[in-house]
Amino acid sequence: MQGGSSGIGYGLKYQARCISDVKADTDYTSFLTGTLSLKEENEVHLLRLSSGGSELICEGLFSHPNEIWDLASCPFDQRIFSTVFSTGESFGAAIWQIPELYGQLNSPQLERVASLDAHVGKINCVLWWPSGRCDKLISIDEQNLFLWSLDCSKKSAEVLSKDSAGMLHSLSGGAWDPHDVNAVAATGESSVQFWDLRTMKKVKSIEHAHVRGVDYNPKREHILVTAEDESGIHVWDLRKAKVPVQELPGHTHWTWAVKCNPEYDGLILSAGTDSAVNLWFASASSSDDKTSESPVESTRQRVNPLLNSYTDYEDSVYGLAWSSREPWVFASLSYDGRVVIESVKPFLPRI
Amino acid sequence: MATEAAPMDEKAKRMRDLLSSFYAPDPSISTSNSSINASFDNINSTSFDADQYMDLMIKKSNLEVLLQRHVQMAAEIKNLDTDLQMLVYENYNKFISATDTIKRMKSNIFGMEGNMDQLLQKIMSVQSRSDGVNTSLFEKREHIEKLHRTRNLLRKVQFIYDLPARLQKCIKSEAYGDAVRFYTGAMPILKVYGDTSFQDCRRASEETIEIIIKNLQTKLFSDSESIQARAEAAVLLKQLDVPVDSLKAKLLEKLEQSLDGLQIKPEEASKLVEHDDSSNDTESNDQHPAKIHEDAVRGFSEAMRAYREIFPDSEERLFKLARALTAMHFENMELYIRKRVSAADFLGIFRIIWEDVVLMDEVLPEAALSDLSAEAAQVTLKQFVARTFSHLQQDISDTLLKFDINQKEAVEGEVLKVILEASQKAVLQGTTNIFQDFRQLLDENAGIFIKMRDLISGWIQKGFQDFFRSLEAQFLVLSGKTSSSNDIEGKSSDKIHAGLILVLAQLSVFIEQKVIPRVTEEIAASFSGGNSQAFDNGPAFIPGELCRVFHAASEKLLQHYIDTRTQKVSVLLRKRFKTPNWVKHKEPREVHMYVDMFLHELEEVGKEVKQVLPQGTFRKHKRTDSNGSNTTTSSRSNTLHSDKMTRSNSQRARSQLFETHLAKLFKQKVEIFTKVEFTQESVVTTTVKLCLKSLQEYVRLQTFNRSGFQQIQLDIQFLKAPLKETVEDEAAIDFLLDEVIVAASERCLDVIPLEPPILDKLIQAKLAKSKEHNNNTVSS
Repeated sequence: MQGGSSGIGYGLKYQARCISDVKADTDYTSFLTGTLSLKEENEVHLLRLSSGGSELICEGLFSHPNEIWDLASCPFDQRIFSTVFSTGESFGAAIWQIPELYGQLNSPQLERVASLDAHVGKINCVLWWPSGRCDKLISIDEQNLFLWSLDCSKKSAEVLSKDSAGMLHSLSGGAWDPHDVNAVAATGESSVQFWDLRTMKKVKSIEHAHVRGVDYNPKREHILVTAEDESGIHVWDLRKAKVPVQELPGHTHWTWAVKCNPEYDGLILSAGTDSAVNLWFASASSSDDKTSESPVESTRQRVNPLLNSYTDYEDSVYGLAWSSREPWVFASLSYDGRVVIESVKPFLPRI
Repeated sequence: MATEAAPMDEKAKRMRDLLSSFYAPDPSISTSNSSINASFDNINSTSFDADQYMDLMIKKSNLEVLLQRHVQMAAEIKNLDTDLQMLVYENYNKFISATDTIKRMKSNIFGMEGNMDQLLQKIMSVQSRSDGVNTSLFEKREHIEKLHRTRNLLRKVQFIYDLPARLQKCIKSEAYGDAVRFYTGAMPILKVYGDTSFQDCRRASEETIEIIIKNLQTKLFSDSESIQARAEAAVLLKQLDVPVDSLKAKLLEKLEQSLDGLQIKPEEASKLVEHDDSSNDTESNDQHPAKIHEDAVRGFSEAMRAYREIFPDSEERLFKLARALTAMHFENMELYIRKRVSAADFLGIFRIIWEDVVLMDEVLPEAALSDLSAEAAQVTLKQFVARTFSHLQQDISDTLLKFDINQKEAVEGEVLKVILEASQKAVLQGTTNIFQDFRQLLDENAGIFIKMRDLISGWIQKGFQDFFRSLEAQFLVLSGKTSSSNDIEGKSSDKIHAGLILVLAQLSVFIEQKVIPRVTEEIAASFSGGNSQAFDNGPAFIPGELCRVFHAASEKLLQHYIDTRTQKVSVLLRKRFKTPNWVKHKEPREVHMYVDMFLHELEEVGKEVKQVLPQGTFRKHKRTDSNGSNTTTSSRSNTLHSDKMTRSNSQRARSQLFETHLAKLFKQKVEIFTKVEFTQESVVTTTVKLCLKSLQEYVRLQTFNRSGFQQIQLDIQFLKAPLKETVEDEAAIDFLLDEVIVAASERCLDVIPLEPPILDKLIQAKLAKSKEHNNNTVSS
């Protein structure tokens, strides 16, 4: 496909892995991103898409003490976000607040709301309660899953419960089910595992190797999308999780991240280490009835699910986020620190 | 005229004269025309004027002439006179004789009346006499007549008394017809007097009749009797008022039972055909089954013909039977072709069935057997075509799976090559065979086939289309690319050997490039047409689509092969990078083990690829064609990198990093992920590229201390030489290897590269060690 250079670019100073949509910001389409530099001073950038949608403005620039491996914006407060960071030897996670009046300050400091210090180990990610004002958090490291209760006013976070997946699973990330707030999926080396937060017990798992990214379909219950190292993208129906509902070829190299569009059902974005972002359309019909296999298969083969491939990147793309305010806009971040905002509007009529 | 008139007969002359006078239109004219002639002629006319004639004579003639004329006239007059006299005389004579006759008649009539009276009297007396005789003989005649009647009666009685004996005699001589005639003749009497006077007689004859009926029945049932005899028997039985319907039912039942014998049992079908072929040249003593079968069916149809004649009302039942037999034939046929059957055998059976049908059709044309069998034949034939294709598919997958690739020693030998060749052969041979088979079908001249020719070509085309489609699906299932819903297969998919996937990929290419064009040709040559009406959606066989499908499949499979191979390496690398604590890594002492394993994997890929894929055009030092512009710059960056690497270690890490960044700024993105081609080099290169990229990604996820970085540096340095040897796109490999080192340096807390001499030393040590290891394995 054409390597559309229509995107709006923005360069970070250093390498970076994570970008997050600021969901709570209802006035602007904004994204948060943080750098990953072992030796330099790391920064968190608050980016805002200008109202015309033609420019990406740096709305705030804050220094962050360590290199950022994961960053997630609070769904109900645009000024709060979480990071997972590494000092090189150890990992940590914290909740930060962007100071008020940061525009006037010269080099504003982030306020640390809380440290998730009780969680030691190689933390992968912090998940926020999927929607609405709720102060629950989840942090995942290679073996454990922690459920936190955050109190912003007291500036403290408490561990509510935790569970260990066991040594061998080496979890790598996760997603919180937007349809069932008690369900969390975590990706591991050989499987995707699901926890029920009420009991804090593992309820089931999909045996599938090398899953790197996972995302729930926000428009459709029970539908889960996973990204794998070699074998591309799979769409699962959790009610019959033995066999994937659909298979997308993914990327030339690993598929690193996968995100379902918050508004348009079936629109899937994937980022890969082949320096490309692919826009897919997983037709709803084939994900619905799996029973009629052969005809569906044939139609699937005929309709190319790949809508577009954005290849205007210099390095592997790790960060990927849809805007929830303008659901046809997404931000992508390649390892060399380049943020690219693209609009998928031209492809919407096709679905 | 006058001179001439003399010799003339007198009468004739007169006649002529009269005639001429009569015919002359106008006497005056004639006289004016020739006065002399007229004067002569007019001597006889009414208007003859003697005086004038006289005058004329006198005037005209001299005396001599007049004298002469006078003499002549006198003679004529005399003549006429005698003539007249003669006439009168003759008439008179006749008149006299007439009066005489009348006189005699008058005298004869007298006396007749008396004779008549006498005659009457005599006749009267004769009558009275005869009456007398009549009355006198009457009594005697009465008596004679009575006697005669009695005699007749007696004769009848005698006949009835004789009936049993006679019937017996008939039985003996098997003249059942006579027996029945006798019996039915005697029936009325027996009916009337049977209970009284002829009791014994009746009983006896009934007994014999019983026997006769029995005999007739056996005759009817016995197959050895001629049809005519049996038909007669049936007629006789009917005459004897024997309930024929039940007999008929019984017979038909028997016929129905005989159907079993006529079945072509699937187990025996092949035998039928075999002997059918060999029977022509070797006249074997024992009858071959085909002949037996034919005879049996002939017998059956004969029986049907007979029954039809015997029982005209049984047609429906016979129709049913014939239809049942036909249906049974085709059912058995379906069973038969469930096993693997060649078209020749199939046709053989078909022919036999068709002959049977024709035989029966002759007997029962109304049963519409040919229609029925045509329908059934269509179904069967369709199944046959479908089955042939599924057999072929089975064959191919059998060939593919026949070899146990997982055996270690098998890998040493060129199993993949063998498999590939075998399966290619299977596909080619299979399609060729199918074509041969189907051509036989088309060439077959049995009645139904001609009608179905179009349909057959249609089916064949459609069959090929479906066959290739399902073959492609099966390839994907075999490769484990598409997980089939079947759980068992899903389990086994883990064990699918990567080599098999490669074979499948190459096989797909083969099918796309060789088989499909061939099939297309064949279809165009012998099976075109047939899609005229049968398929509304254009031709059933669309080679373009199939080529596309297989092209896509081959690419998919090749990709899948590379994926599975890289996945293996990926697991290896993952373990390598997960296990140590890189931040507390110890100084590198030797090249790490995983490098060996990685190279071993590559070697295996190389081996497999060499067996299956063709060698690409050699272009080790050329750039990949898809991104010519990029490689120039990347090669520039390579020189930069290698410069950097060989530079003394006094160089600070920081400046190195700066340099790499700088280099990155100048060089363009290297297109690492080019399209895979079906060549050994391309596949190996792609695999290596993907593995190195994975390596880079793993490195990026870690944080290294100095020693950790150095370890990576060492490993990569070691990899460089063997990788370059195996790979066609050196530039890209260089670039990727450098990228790994760059990534490691970026993720390193304290970047101080190993000094080249130490690097060299360690690499040499490793090489020496591996050589020694090799030697050991060779010597042992």
